[in-house]
Amino acid sequence: MHPGAPGGGRQASGGEFQSPALERLVRSLQQLPGLGRKSATRIALHLLANHEDAAQLTTAVDDARRQVTRCGRCGAITESDPCAICTNPGRDASLLCVVASPVDILPFEKAAFFRGRYFVLGRLLSPLDGVRAEDLPFDRLRARIDEDEVREVILALDTSVEGETTALYVQRLLAGRAIHLSRLATGIPVGGALAYTDEATLQRAFQHRTGVEGG
Amino acid sequence: MRILTARLTGFRNLADGDYEFSPGVNLLIGSNGQGKTNLLEALNFAAFGRSHRGARSEELIRFTDQHLHVSLAVDQASGVRQDHEFGLDREGGRRFRIDGQLVTRRADLVGRLATVFFRPESVELVRDGPEARRRFADQSLASLDSGYLAALMAYQRALRQKGRLLADVRRGARREADAARELAAWNADLAVHAVPIGRRRGEWSSLLAPYADAIYQDLAGSPAPLEFQWRPRLQAFAPARLASATDEELAADILAEFDYIRPMELRRGRPLAGLQFDDFLVRLGERDLRVFGSQGETRTAAISLVLAQSDVVFRQRRVRPVLFLDDIFSELDRERARRLQERSARNHQVFIATARADDVAGWEPDPARRWLVEDGRLTALP
Repeated sequence: MHPGAPGGGRQASGGEFQSPALERLVRSLQQLPGLGRKSATRIALHLLANHEDAAQLTTAVDDARRQVTRCGRCGAITESDPCAICTNPGRDASLLCVVASPVDILPFEKAAFFRGRYFVLGRLLSPLDGVRAEDLPFDRLRARIDEDEVREVILALDTSVEGETTALYVQRLLAGRAIHLSRLATGIPVGGALAYTDEATLQRAFQHRTGVEGG
Repeated sequence: MRILTARLTGFRNLADGDYEFSPGVNLLIGSNGQGKTNLLEALNFAAFGRSHRGARSEELIRFTDQHLHVSLAVDQASGVRQDHEFGLDREGGRRFRIDGQLVTRRADLVGRLATVFFRPESVELVRDGPEARRRFADQSLASLDSGYLAALMAYQRALRQKGRLLADVRRGARREADAARELAAWNADLAVHAVPIGRRRGEWSSLLAPYADAIYQDLAGSPAPLEFQWRPRLQAFAPARLASATDEELAADILAEFDYIRPMELRRGRPLAGLQFDDFLVRLGERDLRVFGSQGETRTAAISLVLAQSDVVFRQRRVRPVLFLDDIFSELDRERARRLQERSARNHQVFIATARADDVAGWEPDPARRWLVEDGRLTALP
């Protein structure tokens, strides 16, 4: 092998453990997102040395797999179906916030200003990744809007090309209905210094500037 | 803007070391394959965070090394010194620092080190197909405005998505009826991103044109003016419409054009309208140089267009970019080459790479430094 060829530097860590069981553990940890061989090895050795941690982890994974499910109404990650947000009578069913992933609900709930409910699309339109409109729960979205007599749909999708196009799709899907459709604003972060805002964000903020009184 | 010093480690075949450049003209003389272009590439890399010839990290790192590091001391026009550093490793790691501050996004590098690069292939800019002129426009605009780069990247991504959708329908993987609303959404997204790109292509080309003409006249002298005009394919960007319509109106126009061509796009299975079909007209008087130019005319026009970028940068940012001229003289006659030398040395720091010492013989700019480039080593000549 050429000494400088890509991968040449990884040879030192490319060796395998003599124990096939440990090797299997490292490899399955390596399958996890964000873990390379080095981190996987560290975790595996830690679990071998700390039986209690290993036992806890095993139980936690088992419990989570048994108990965690998705809410049939909104798609949130939950243990009860429908979820606590969908069944909470204190939340305004006529406000529906559409997000891409169940994780996107968390920042809203942490900030605790939004009193409506959610709808998780699960994915964004992307022909390059084989994600078609038929793969997204748009039928359920329409049914949900009808059932709950939704007044406003807030699209809280990524500002990526796929996020924007999915928002445009929903816009077309819901065209002609007597509901208010809105999208989150994009712009300068709160508390952020103008001088350090990147130009693309600044331009976006400028385009979507809002009028002030007296102006 | 001037690069005062460079420290190189692990970059291609270039010897590790510290180099002190002339703030005026730096002549790099050496046979082919000795490392002249590699040096220009190393110096220019900090400006864009990428190789001017599209090389990947693992090609840039010397084959016996695991990483490379380059640091430059740059004198901004005002006499303020700025340190630019970058490091790449074989695992794909990349680090850029300006004055020790980490720069994480490539867009944030834009404009920090202004450069204009003439590559040997640039000489065919006028005779090549439209794609070469679009690439020239895109690179030039991206170096002036990170908003352009963001819009262009979004447009290109959406275009690939739309292309896949059309291809899926054509090969029967999707039903046309199912894909129709999706296609409309991709078109709407494309239209939104196309508007700022189109506006800027128009503004940039009319800004660049008079400077390119002035350089052309200086180099060659011609009774007819050199013209450079954006030729958009989309009707929405016709000059009168562009001048009077709002962004929303333009986006609606573009969407209508996309709708009109949709049946044909579905039949062919690929996008048939958009910014990806733009061209730029290059004309000497009434004559289209793209088709009817002589070799001398097209090359002088290409050089004029590339160098005119420097004037646009100065006009917009009040800094004179560093010029990198790689093998620019070999195709010019002696008289044009001499005028080009004088012109490029005026107001700029310039790095000129040439394989033929003859091309720059008898030229004594001041300040200047001559370098012999041999087997990756730079030796300052007396």
